[in-house]
Amino acid sequence: MKIAVLYGTETGNAEMLAEDLAAELEGDHDVSCANLSGFDPAGFDAGTFYILVSSTYGDGDLPASAQPFARAVEAKAPDLSGIHFAVFGLGDSEYHETFNGGGEKLAALMAARGAVQVGERVTHDASGPDMAEDLAFPWARQVIETAAGLVGEDA
Amino acid sequence: MSRRVAILGAGPSGCFVAQALLKARPELQVDILDRLPVPYGLVRYGVAADHQGTKAITRQFARLFERQGARFFGNVTVGREVTLEALREAYDAVVVATGLSADRRLGIPGDDLPGVHGAGRITRALYEHPDAEPLPPLGARPLIVGNGNVAIDLLRLLAKTPEELDGSDLGPGPTAWLAGSGIEEITILGRSPAAAARFDAVMLKELGRLSGVSIAVDDPGTAGTEEGLRVLEALSALHGHGHGTGPRRIRFVFSRRPVAAEGEGQVSALLCAAPDGREERFAATSILTAIGFDGETATAESGAAVRMAPGLYGAGWFARGPRGTIPDNRADAQALAAVILADLDAMPAGAPRGEILACLPGVVTYDGWTRIDAAETAGPPPGRCRAKITGRAAMLSLAAARDEKETQP
Repeated sequence: MKIAVLYGTETGNAEMLAEDLAAELEGDHDVSCANLSGFDPAGFDAGTFYILVSSTYGDGDLPASAQPFARAVEAKAPDLSGIHFAVFGLGDSEYHETFNGGGEKLAALMAARGAVQVGERVTHDASGPDMAEDLAFPWARQVIETAAGLVGEDA
Repeated sequence: MSRRVAILGAGPSGCFVAQALLKARPELQVDILDRLPVPYGLVRYGVAADHQGTKAITRQFARLFERQGARFFGNVTVGREVTLEALREAYDAVVVATGLSADRRLGIPGDDLPGVHGAGRITRALYEHPDAEPLPPLGARPLIVGNGNVAIDLLRLLAKTPEELDGSDLGPGPTAWLAGSGIEEITILGRSPAAAARFDAVMLKELGRLSGVSIAVDDPGTAGTEEGLRVLEALSALHGHGHGTGPRRIRFVFSRRPVAAEGEGQVSALLCAAPDGREERFAATSILTAIGFDGETATAESGAAVRMAPGLYGAGWFARGPRGTIPDNRADAQALAAVILADLDAMPAGAPRGEILACLPGVVTYDGWTRIDAAETAGPPPGRCRAKITGRAAMLSLAAARDEKETQP
């Protein structure tokens, strides 16, 4: 499957996870990895499955590198119907109850433009006991399996 | 022969510069020096002990040494074991990322009275920096001056119950010091109105989860900006938190300009000026100043704030002054790396140069640090994720201890 891992990062943790995830999936899929800061919302392609990895910053906000993307989606209002995506979030429950806000906002942004979310949105908690990749890798395999029958089908 | 870059200071800014350099040019030889035997600087000794999620960025930094070929040279003080001149001779680029650690003083009469302490001095001791002074008694009514996140960190740690420190890496000494502090009331006072305070709203919200406090916010005023409104909203949610149940009182005071610290042989009050010119006296058994950090900073060559001289650069707080969060400094580090790479490309190829760090006596390598790290995380006490090794001598002997496997041929 053609997979694009797109990340929104602020301290670099989401970037590292996105790169690790891309490397993990590379053997079985055609994978690319890019920062959301440089991604044009007009460039979504129905034949690609998008895995969005986003941290949370401040009070449940999108991280800095996802903000230009969010502004562009709002300004250009692209039609994303037929686009399939999944969201993996990163946050820190030590600071706020809205620690999964970044991923949540990104998912809402995509869904509002007609894109279809695949699988559950999972958020890693930096103050929890798990390593992000230990949650993200099995989660990714699962959403990819679900996406396999969907991506490109209704494009 | 690949280009060589030395970075002075293994804190977040230095590590982020290394990360950006190696991401662009994996073939670069990047060496990171620190005067301490252990890496990560502010993340280890400045980020609060109960903010372990923030400290998780060290996983990125560990990768520099474990996979990206960067080398760590700990326990090396520039000007003692090696000179800056020798480093500039041996490396194509030298980056100074030594941070700022000296507490800015109040600059008012009485600011040197016993009982007036800088926040950095207290937090270094709380987080067991090997050069920290001992933790002083604060008395029943400490007063914190400052409206930034360091002030909130201090307030939160002083206000937490022992149970609320579970999961942190606070050491046994500081834990006992906090448990036995006898603090009844903490006043946190700033000269600006609440809306202009520098703390993040999310740091204030965190205080709303404390179980042992009663919080009062005196006259926070109004806000004209979005960020100011967020702070005011967070403060108004805090006002009244825990009333009637929280045994420790916390009082926020804004718009008070400190005029003098008063006391006979020991501080007993802070005299302030109110906006209407009235003088107001706040009783205090100690004063903790969290109003910023001072120290030697970069002197920029014309134009480029980060290039101090050919091949010599400044990064992080050393370059930008004591402003900006860890992510702000990451963005700066990436911009600096771009400047360094452009300079390296424009440089004529040099002759191969010898090693000057590996042979230094007492140098701690990354392997040495992993032995210290393993000892710290092997069996922390209940409720703690790490037991820091606190003394240099203990760090050095752990770092030097080779395990069986390594010594076998």
